[in-house]
Amino acid sequence: MSEFFQTFLNPGVMAESSGLLLRGLWVTVQACLIVVPGGLFFGAGLALAQTLAPAWGARSLSWGVDLIRAFPPLVLLVLIVHGLPFLGIEPPPLLGVGIALTINTSTYYGEILRAGILSIEPTQWEAARSTGLGTMATLRHVILPQGVRNVLPDLAGNTLEAVKLTSLASVVALPDLLRMARVAQGVHFNPSPLILAALLYLALLWPLVRLIRRLGGRAVLPA
Amino acid sequence: MSAVLELRGVGKTFAGVPALRDIHLAVGTSELVALIGPSGSGKSTLLRCCNRLTEPDGGEVVFEGSPVPAGGAELASVRRRMGMVFQAFNLYPHLNALENAALAPRRAAGLGQGEAETAAREALERVGLGDRTTAMPDELSGGQQQRVAIARALALRPRILLLDEPTSALDPELVGSVLRVIRSLKEDGVAMLIATHEIAFAREAADRIAFLADGEILECGPPAEILDRPKSERLQSFLSRL
Repeated sequence: MSEFFQTFLNPGVMAESSGLLLRGLWVTVQACLIVVPGGLFFGAGLALAQTLAPAWGARSLSWGVDLIRAFPPLVLLVLIVHGLPFLGIEPPPLLGVGIALTINTSTYYGEILRAGILSIEPTQWEAARSTGLGTMATLRHVILPQGVRNVLPDLAGNTLEAVKLTSLASVVALPDLLRMARVAQGVHFNPSPLILAALLYLALLWPLVRLIRRLGGRAVLPA
Repeated sequence: MSAVLELRGVGKTFAGVPALRDIHLAVGTSELVALIGPSGSGKSTLLRCCNRLTEPDGGEVVFEGSPVPAGGAELASVRRRMGMVFQAFNLYPHLNALENAALAPRRAAGLGQGEAETAAREALERVGLGDRTTAMPDELSGGQQQRVAIARALALRPRILLLDEPTSALDPELVGSVLRVIRSLKEDGVAMLIATHEIAFAREAADRIAFLADGEILECGPPAEILDRPKSERLQSFLSRL
């Protein structure tokens, strides 16, 4: 048993690698601060565009969304971070990762928000129209407040996935939390830094996970 | 008598099945016209064609002397002055009573927040709910919800109210409270076109009754004439089954 502790929960290794890991955590947090708001913003744009576009426009958009969702995010990440320089565009690594993962995650946010909009009865649209409210005002004041509330658990769940998705950045050498843990693991010939990284992810995500649990219990609007 | 609302030869077909045929009907200032007829006779479609929630296929709807425009800001402006009340209330469940009634004055008519709330509060007082302004729809009874829906239409100070079976979704003991409000609106001179199954109410409150069957107005006239001396066989058999 003590050998297990020495291997996976070595306090000395953890202490020595903690500085490195905290630097990695900060990079991960920065990546999340790009990907989550960016994904929500462009996802909302996608959902609204699909709601408001004429049928052919909505169909082409849904094709695009499906293509991106079926595309492995890792490949998208490598293409953007290592491909853009060939086009003469060389974004800083953090921004490159942010762009790639925002593209990926905004399609998921978009589909969730679209489901939220579709969850609202057409009679709500009619009631608003009958009072002279325009399409945008109806969306903003009647449809979205109810629709977003209906899909809050899914939005929070997708945010959880988006945060974990940023660990892919370690593949393109962004010094994020997972990358730093792998570096520390190499330095110490010991996997304890990985466990420490997992604990840091847990600390980052635990409030969100609990929030989702709470939302799940009261997300359904009264009829 | 000048007509607030006039339908001239309005027709509507759903998937080849005619829902309305050559409807001619006018509602004058301060007049209450009741639409009666069996379910599926076209009462709702007729009301929805007035404000183009359903697009008529033919004929013309004239509101305050001008044809109802096909869309855009002009149609929105007509809709504000033509209040609609739905069978299932269709209140906004995430807004309280005051917010339900204040939304369109604020966001469609462009009033300031204070003015919109004043208009909403006055409308709620008029339907007897001045003390329930902060109640959420699910905290209100069906009758109260329908009165909030009427207040939502009234807050825009409409020239006419279109009411689509406003009491059909209510428990019998709650019907009276809504009909009382409609009666008091009539006393205040609000023009109304109301689809209803409440024949007793139509007899006592309506100026005229139009009988619809299979999308056609078969008879139209004062309550006593329609209800006591029905001419068509359809109306006779409709009344005998009540």
